[in-house]
Amino acid sequence: MEQTLIRKLVSADEEYLRDESKKVGNAESISFPETHEQVCEIMTELYKTGTPVTVQGSRTGLAAAAVPFGGHILNLSRMDKVLGMRSEDGRFYITVQPGVILQKLNKSIAARSFSMDAWDEESQETYKAFCRAGSLMFTPDPTESTASIGGMVACNASGARSYHYGATRGHIEALRGVLANGETISLSRGQIFAKGLELSLPTEQGSTINVKLPTYKMPECKNASGYYCHEDMDAIDLLIGSDGTLAILTEIEISLLPVPALTWGITCFFPTQSEAVAYTKLTKNISQGIAAIEYFDDCALDILRKQKAENTAFSGLPFLPKEYGCAVYTELHCDGEEQAYALLETLSGNCAQAGGNPDMTWVATSDSDRDVLHFFRHAVPESVNMQVERSKRNYPEITKVGGDLAVPDDSFETLMNLYDATLEKEGLQHAAWGHIGDNHIHVNILPRDMDEYSRGKALLAGWAAEVSRMGGAVSAEHGVGKLKAPFLEVMYGEDHIREMAALKATFDPKCMLGRGNLFAPQQEVER
Amino acid sequence: MKIFVCMKQVPAAATASIDPLTKTIVRTANNAVTNPFDLYALQTALDIRKQTGGSLTAITMGIPAAERVLRDAVSRGADGGVLLSDRAFAGADTLATSYALSLGIEKMGGSDLIVCGKMAVDGDTAQIGPELAQHLGIPHVSDVCEILEAAEDHLVVRRVWDEVEQELYLPLPALITVVKGQNLPQLATIPGMLRGRDVEIPLFTAEALNADTERCGLKGSPTQVVRTFTPPVRGQAKTIEGSETQQAEELAKVIKEVLYGAD
Amino acid sequence: MEQIKKGALWVFCEVQSGELLPVGMQLLGRAKTLAAESNRPLYAIVLGKIPEGAVKTLGAAGADEVICSDSPALADKLEQPYADSLIDLAQKFEPDILLVGATPFGRAFAPRVAAALGTGLTADCTELSIEAESGLLLQTRPAFGGNMMATIKTATHRPQMATVRPGVLPLPEPVETPLSEPIAIPYNNEAGLVRLLRETAISKGADISQSKIIVAAGRGIGQKKNLKLVQALADKLGGEVGASRPLVDMGFCPYSSQIGQTGYSVAPDLLICCGISGAVQHLAGIGGAKTVIAINTDPKAPIFSVADYKIVGDCVTVLENLLKLLG
Repeated sequence: MEQTLIRKLVSADEEYLRDESKKVGNAESISFPETHEQVCEIMTELYKTGTPVTVQGSRTGLAAAAVPFGGHILNLSRMDKVLGMRSEDGRFYITVQPGVILQKLNKSIAARSFSMDAWDEESQETYKAFCRAGSLMFTPDPTESTASIGGMVACNASGARSYHYGATRGHIEALRGVLANGETISLSRGQIFAKGLELSLPTEQGSTINVKLPTYKMPECKNASGYYCHEDMDAIDLLIGSDGTLAILTEIEISLLPVPALTWGITCFFPTQSEAVAYTKLTKNISQGIAAIEYFDDCALDILRKQKAENTAFSGLPFLPKEYGCAVYTELHCDGEEQAYALLETLSGNCAQAGGNPDMTWVATSDSDRDVLHFFRHAVPESVNMQVERSKRNYPEITKVGGDLAVPDDSFETLMNLYDATLEKEGLQHAAWGHIGDNHIHVNILPRDMDEYSRGKALLAGWAAEVSRMGGAVSAEHGVGKLKAPFLEVMYGEDHIREMAALKATFDPKCMLGRGNLFAPQQEVER
Repeated sequence: MKIFVCMKQVPAAATASIDPLTKTIVRTANNAVTNPFDLYALQTALDIRKQTGGSLTAITMGIPAAERVLRDAVSRGADGGVLLSDRAFAGADTLATSYALSLGIEKMGGSDLIVCGKMAVDGDTAQIGPELAQHLGIPHVSDVCEILEAAEDHLVVRRVWDEVEQELYLPLPALITVVKGQNLPQLATIPGMLRGRDVEIPLFTAEALNADTERCGLKGSPTQVVRTFTPPVRGQAKTIEGSETQQAEELAKVIKEVLYGAD
Repeated sequence: MEQIKKGALWVFCEVQSGELLPVGMQLLGRAKTLAAESNRPLYAIVLGKIPEGAVKTLGAAGADEVICSDSPALADKLEQPYADSLIDLAQKFEPDILLVGATPFGRAFAPRVAAALGTGLTADCTELSIEAESGLLLQTRPAFGGNMMATIKTATHRPQMATVRPGVLPLPEPVETPLSEPIAIPYNNEAGLVRLLRETAISKGADISQSKIIVAAGRGIGQKKNLKLVQALADKLGGEVGASRPLVDMGFCPYSSQIGQTGYSVAPDLLICCGISGAVQHLAGIGGAKTVIAINTDPKAPIFSVADYKIVGDCVTVLENLLKLLG
């Protein structure tokens, strides 16, 4: 059969060789399938030659998982349909193709507006009930709202609100995927479990994959590093966070939760990091209503001040007085004003007790207020990216150098002190922000030349080793991809990496999928 | 100086939606917010008050729940709020609304300066400000984007209309409407929020305002909505075909039509 | 003054920098049909100094008479004096319908007129018609940011007033007209209280977010030198050049021209996208564009899903041909 879906890569396709990590790869061919069947067709064809396949969503990833490693680019951005919905026990579930963009999905859910022409009767009926139900939401909220749902599942993405709602994993109800050989697997939560560390997965074509799960213990903190596994686990969880190395997801069923009656965002400013950490500790003691706790260090605020002054596109950023050293953003999800005001008073006390000034706070209670804060939050990584992009013009090899490390509660202050001490010693430009409530800060180094770039990378490797020793995760939410593959070995050790490689081989014996992700390529070959 | 800011409660933009089953606008208590333009008006008034001193009062006409936008204004720095609420006010168009507001401001002893947002995002009329000024018999300047000078008895303001920029001297009392401009609405602080929660908001009914009920609400509204409908959705793109030259010719025609109207 | 009949259909025709704005003629064109349907005379109203030849132009656009009112108080086009003089005219001659172009000035002063006359005003209409059974003016306008359309009438108050969006009605084909002189009505009021201190024409486009016309380039433009074509077309149309993020990342274009989620959001009347594939991040920034023309080699490029007109082809060739044509 002639394969018309696969075409040669041409120079206009250059953008598909890179993603937000700024790493550039190479490939010979590319395809833009629109249906599950087309993905099967493409894979059946490529399987004959064992061509490496890199799956892409909207290429917003930061770990280079979507950067091709030779061979074929399977770009799923045109699989962007919402396929249907169902409800069960009062909860609603929506099935989407992997290329659906988070932002668009959120808009559709909020406006209750979908293209439903191809929906089956059950979906159409469910839609009527959905319209009458209270407002619903898909909670995972990575900062990059143009992420694709497929990409989010592949790296088990999380965001600010994961503090309360957990990462993407907890909101995925069913998956359908295509294996390297073109066969299909379908998994629903609660349907297939491992027996101990043995897992048997049937394909729709009737074959069975017998999986031996790795024996490591996952860290007790937010984690998106390597395969998710534990004894008696639900099979669906193995595919979530597998970084495009086991199967190509073609249908994803997500679950929705009610939108809280009130969402308020409170930003408190502190003179230094230690007051911010103290405020966070106090605030983590609040048992209900806190959806997110986020941090922005003094360097991040400085970058924003500079952007606001120099770049009119950033003039909408709120004014940041000099004495506002660093910031902690707390999001409240409440069922009414009484609860919200009570929490506000508690936070005011926490702020004062930690050494902040309640007069130096921002409270966002409406969508337009939150837009301002969202813009503020998004402007930080965006500005960092712009700076990396500038350095890259002079030194094309430069990529983003950013940490995605998380540790258990008791090690967090040690980690923050380690960041401080080592950064000061190296004298590198940097900025830090992120999910302080989850002990998970993104420290980004802003290299201006190759020397700074390599020193920054060395620093990151050193931190990864320390974090592994503390029982933490080398990637808490971005996924391992290609950039962090070396750290994974530091975290889990050579033997466990070999177990992971063996697991991959049972799904993908020709080692075609997501080559270079999770493992350095030779590890896959050695297995 | 005695400053009033007119505010309106509108459905939140993100959730403002047409009910897919009934085809009406979904308005619920939880997705009602302060009209975003009014926040720029409030910030302009706050900036003026900083220079001239005086009092700043937010005023709105609406259902009792619209009190929330006044509390919001106080949270962001206004001194107080006044709510005009009565069944007789329901269904008002811009004429009846501006009439009620004019009575409310007179009831409060009149004003030196009234600041309105350019328009409300739900109605898009931009008429309340000018109509209110006419009712009160004071001058107004629409679409102000910057306050160049603020004194006890006058303002100097700047506005930009298409390709013209104007600087205007405005003796007080007067009214201005402000566009989303250079001032950035500041967010509330925690202590501000608590002030907004605790402030007393006086409520005036039509009777308290001595309003002519023939000029209020639906009865006092000359305009009537005959019907509402959803606009046709943007259809598929029209393909411009033909040879390269034909394409260019057709394209030139399309551009001309778009820019200068069909001929 | 006898020749001014009461119950007429009036169109306020705005003058800017000594020239009639086209919206006045667009309104007359439509009003002519409405006037004929409802058997009313059609008057064009010009306030302030009437430009030379304006009477002829307005007559050719369909006006039965041109009424003008000038005085030193109307030297500067400001809300209060213009409203006062129109109120004065309307009170004297009692029009049945009064239409005003929804220009910034029209929308700023017409509400004062409506409030003074105690009548309704429908803002920013996009369509006008006459209700057959009643002869009333039906005014249709978008509401709720365009999510909904509403048809509105003013049944019991006069005049029936509406401001009408410029550019939505076609310019009428000029007709023979006997008109050469306006009917001048004196206006004796004092000047308003607001004083115009300074008025300057501004060069547009310091900021692409405000541009009315944008020609935007994406990766499909190929080489940097081809951007000259984009610039040339933008210059020709009096617009600005925009760029997708890849061009900015590559250093082809300055950040100030970047359109999209991480650049500027734009809302031009016309957006011409040359070689832009339409990544969601880009599309997020062009939602406000009124008319989108997209040129791309890939027939499945997502940009076409938001376009009003599409050309499947190489944008460089299309631009070259178009520029030749535009001379």
